[in-house]
Amino acid sequence: MDPASELIPLKVHGVLVDPNTDTQIVILRDEQHMDVLPIWVGTAEGTSIRLALEGIVPPRPMSHDLLTSFTEHLGMKVTRVVVTDVKNNTYYATIHLFAHGVERTVDSRPSDAIALALRTKSPIYVTQDVLKRRNADNLDAWLAKLDPQEFGKSETT
Amino acid sequence: MITQMHVRGLLFDPYNNAYIVILRDENNTDMLPIWVGKAEASAISFALEHITPPRPMTHDLMKAILDNVDAKVLSAVVTDLRENTYYAKIHLWYGDSEYSIDARPSDAIALALRTDAPIFTTEEVLQKQNSEELERWLENLKPEDFGKFET
Repeated sequence: MDPASELIPLKVHGVLVDPNTDTQIVILRDEQHMDVLPIWVGTAEGTSIRLALEGIVPPRPMSHDLLTSFTEHLGMKVTRVVVTDVKNNTYYATIHLFAHGVERTVDSRPSDAIALALRTKSPIYVTQDVLKRRNADNLDAWLAKLDPQEFGKSETT
Repeated sequence: MITQMHVRGLLFDPYNNAYIVILRDENNTDMLPIWVGKAEASAISFALEHITPPRPMTHDLMKAILDNVDAKVLSAVVTDLRENTYYAKIHLWYGDSEYSIDARPSDAIALALRTDAPIFTTEEVLQKQNSEELERWLENLKPEDFGKFET
């Protein structure tokens, strides 16, 4: 296998709210906590990911709960989601679905893929190549300024 | 008794910092105003204006997944109104069976617009909804607020 396309499993470590912009940051980490992949997402997607992380079931299904409901009703299994590429600071992801004996892939934003993976308890991967090309420099500076209490808020473990 | 509804517009409600989707029946006699969040309003507005974003938004992804397995959206139905909350169902055709899936009206409408599926509601919901409050609210609206998102 081409080492650049080797898949590294990631866990969602938490969701940070960027108080300066209308965005949130999903923090993905590998199991050894050696690598961090921060992905900037919209408020709705960040909120959806946080609800799933905290195991909160809202009274009415949110968009990603509906998406999960579709997969369950139609007998599809989300086998994995993969962050496959980064171009001009935009991350790309692929959702792998197994339905009636056939594996299918669907193009997605990472935020939707992660929100779906958490709800269907599917693994999240990133390619070695994307992890290498990520730019965590800005994140380090940003994290340094952040109140540590704010950080712990959405942690899972 | 069910009535087919059409999305007639999307208004911003500055008092509640929310959006209102206006559904009307064919004859413009019945109206159903549904308050939705910002993300859902933007999903509906993209579909109304036929804007294809560079990356698939959440409802585009829903459509892509359904298309991928040849599941067809038959209709979106606003089925109930309880304590100011509207309930909806999405009817899907997949394999040789029909599935009926619980959804918020905002998601159901955003998906119906993308799949050219009809939107319905029941006589009961139309009777339950009291438009007096909306009418008062509309009277206070400036003409330039209206029309902004109309189709």
